[in-house]
Amino acid sequence: MTAWIDGQAVERDAAVAAAAALLAGARAPLVAGLCAEAAAVQAAFDLARAIGASLDPAAGAPLYADLGALAAGGAMTTTPAEARGRADLVLALGRAPWASGLLHDLAAEGPVRGRAAGRPRAVVALGGPGDGGVQHVAYPVDAAGLPASVGLLRGLVAGRVAGPHPLADLAVRLREALYGVVVVDPAEIGALGTEMLNGLVKDLNETTRCFALPLGDPHQGRAVAQVAAWSTGQGPRVGFGRGHPEHDPWRFDAARQVAAGEVDAALWLASLPAPLPAWTRNLPTVALLGASQDDAIRGDEARVVIGVGVPGEAFGAALWHPGRAAIAWHEATAPRPAASPAAAILAEILTQTSADLRSGLAGRPAPHPEPASC
Amino acid sequence: MLTRIAGGRVVDPTAGRDAVGDVWIEDGRIVAQSDPAVADRAPDRTIDAAGCIVMAGGVEVHSHIAGGNVVLARLLLPELGVSEPGAPNPHGSGSDVGQLYARMGYTTAVEPAMPPVNALATQLELAEIPLLDRGGLCVMGNDDHLLQLLRDRAGAEAVRDLVALNLATSRALGVKVINAGGADAFKDGAVRFSLDDEVPAYGLTSRTILTGLLDAVETLKVPHPLHVHCSNLGLPGADDSLIETLEAAEGRRIHFAHAQFYAYAAVDKDNPLTGGFASAAPRIAEVLARHPNATLDIGQVVFGQTATISLDILRQFSGRKAASPRKWILNAGDAEGGGIVPFRYRDRGPTSSLQFAIGLELMLLSPDPERTILTTDHPNGGPFTAYPRILHLLMDKEARDRELASHPRAATERSGLSGIAREYTFSEVAQLTRSGPAKLLGLSDRGHLRPGARADIALYRDQPDRTAMFARAHRVLKDGAVIVEDGEVVAWSRGRTLSLAVEADAGMARRAETYLQGRFGAGLSSFSVPDAAFPGRAVFEAVPCRT
Ligand SMILES: [Zn+2]
Repeated sequence: MTAWIDGQAVERDAAVAAAAALLAGARAPLVAGLCAEAAAVQAAFDLARAIGASLDPAAGAPLYADLGALAAGGAMTTTPAEARGRADLVLALGRAPWASGLLHDLAAEGPVRGRAAGRPRAVVALGGPGDGGVQHVAYPVDAAGLPASVGLLRGLVAGRVAGPHPLADLAVRLREALYGVVVVDPAEIGALGTEMLNGLVKDLNETTRCFALPLGDPHQGRAVAQVAAWSTGQGPRVGFGRGHPEHDPWRFDAARQVAAGEVDAALWLASLPAPLPAWTRNLPTVALLGASQDDAIRGDEARVVIGVGVPGEAFGAALWHPGRAAIAWHEATAPRPAASPAAAILAEILTQTSADLRSGLAGRPAPHPEPASC
Repeated sequence: MLTRIAGGRVVDPTAGRDAVGDVWIEDGRIVAQSDPAVADRAPDRTIDAAGCIVMAGGVEVHSHIAGGNVVLARLLLPELGVSEPGAPNPHGSGSDVGQLYARMGYTTAVEPAMPPVNALATQLELAEIPLLDRGGLCVMGNDDHLLQLLRDRAGAEAVRDLVALNLATSRALGVKVINAGGADAFKDGAVRFSLDDEVPAYGLTSRTILTGLLDAVETLKVPHPLHVHCSNLGLPGADDSLIETLEAAEGRRIHFAHAQFYAYAAVDKDNPLTGGFASAAPRIAEVLARHPNATLDIGQVVFGQTATISLDILRQFSGRKAASPRKWILNAGDAEGGGIVPFRYRDRGPTSSLQFAIGLELMLLSPDPERTILTTDHPNGGPFTAYPRILHLLMDKEARDRELASHPRAATERSGLSGIAREYTFSEVAQLTRSGPAKLLGLSDRGHLRPGARADIALYRDQPDRTAMFARAHRVLKDGAVIVEDGEVVAWSRGRTLSLAVEADAGMARRAETYLQGRFGAGLSSFSVPDAAFPGRAVFEAVPCRT
């Protein structure tokens, strides 16, 4: 069995019908998690539009540290493969880069493309724990914290902070690098720290080349941001309560909405592993959970639980590829033809919740009644 | 089902047709009334076209409607993409984009900048644009693998095979090159780059890369010629870049993207960057007349807030200080990457007004409207929703004069627009927006109304206000089905994505597999765009190569 209602195993069709009824009857539904393959995330946006739901990915908080900084000031970035091929200086900012495999890869090789090719690659760290396996120069973080240190560094690079300073030497290194790369997790330094870093990187490009390399979240957030952008014109925290998509990162924060009692039903989509929020058991919720084996789901995670295939494992799927920093095709590693993809389940739920819309095109908006200016 | 579109003024310049008559449709295709299968049969459905202009569906060749940079523009400028009830936004969702094109009578649109490293996301996004047939051009010219082959003199066959592999893997309709080598040079510190400058790390000139790709596209018989974004976009003297590039093609077919942004003659030839610019439209029109191998699209500027989106990161970096609002993104990607610089074209600004005038001048001086295709390089010159107003200005000298009078004098003093009396006819409009772009893309099944054509048809109420006329088609048919009535979408068909049927060479596939594994830790399959990525739908339709 791969479907449950109130903890009792049921036929899948019964669970789909219960899910559709639960969501269709909601006044203010929430579609959350979105830790899934692109096709399922797309289907979730189509469903949310049809039922007037709001959306928030499991990756919402870390993702918006990045998106907030981006919308405030833009950015100058590069990719992991370009960093590996070209960087003569890598600055690891904070703790997160040390937990990623990327830093080890970067430290193990030198630049092979572009004008820095053949030079050694220096790894320097600001505010990280370091790692015995990676030779690097560590710089101390200012007492005011990492974002403040980034601000100081920006001042030093721009010549606005004068005199001897513990980070003066780091500023010189950044200015002298031919292709500097700053590895950072925006979630760790926050939107303001990220904005400051983006300013630092842009300043450096007046005379040389330097780019930020933001580490993505582990929950498909950067893929979700893309699907959201082409589905709504906006980032992922949108609400369809009034028919058209409204973007509001604060208002449509799922945790905030649930805590404030603004939501009366929810769909949790996680065909890939993501921490299950406590509210799936308190709020009437449909959970679509990926599991490699059928017994990995207990069935009591939510009012309605439907097991789905793990994308990239049970079947091929478009997923975020951290090494490529892109949505990429992932072949099935352990094909299970019997496993239902979440996209198919969501399409069935949509069909049952929106018979009216089906007369047009499932998941598409109804024609807008008023004329628009052209 | 046999359908008769009855009594409209049927405009099809490819058949020399401009007269009141009927168009017959069966099974999604246009049929001849004289066809024995049709003759003597009564239509099952008649669409009254009295008082209407009947044309083939519009075809867009260059509009940034999908891909990582379009996504980034939305994330950089959330305010620009805001969707209001009842008012779809050309900077908004794919659904809005499809809707806005369809109601103008457009039925096909091509995204010109699909990086092979981001093909899957671009194709997923294109597939979410309803109502239209779509396609993407894969971008080459700054990628390390290609530059390595050229540097190592691996031979024209190897370059051809790599181009074929990229086309097949990304499921593209054609190939585009964007400032060949320029992005690479930028990563090595360059801020200026021209056709004969060398990409420092490879010892290759931009010209070598360009000609390598021109040859590959010709040998592979790709229907759409190499789609070229030249160096020095937007700079005074850029006309020289365009013409040098045209001469470098040496008679091979070549398409120039957004030519308006190059039609800038330096006023002071000795100090091109400080003396400002004047229109080079007459020069470009004259060169085009002498080179039947060349086509261009305009990149018309229209006024208001927009975002410029380009893979020409060298050019976007130089344009960063003009960002309005003052924020911008530049991504040094695996080949080009991309740059997003928001920009406001000011109708009271002398530069924007001159750019506006030059675009119109290029079309009005055109020796052949099929080869000077209407685009705004959406959103770079402004949104595609400005097409109706642009067509109006092309068709109406008086409206043009009124428009010009409201702009700073630079627009008239530095361009020849005010002296041009030409008014476009409906046939010329059809060449500019239908037959020209369809021929350019090599899509023989559209852009015209001859028997056998796909029944993608637009009906416009013939009215003096051409802007209103073209903004909201009276009826639009896609594959014979009515999708728009009185300017509103009535049926949400999903269209197909057109991709070139091209065979990849097995030897090159093996070579690429090794290369990609070494560079990305992921092989060809990771870069592929399989049908399985679009579950429950048949998205792609194959377009054959030239024979
Ligand atoms: Zn363009």
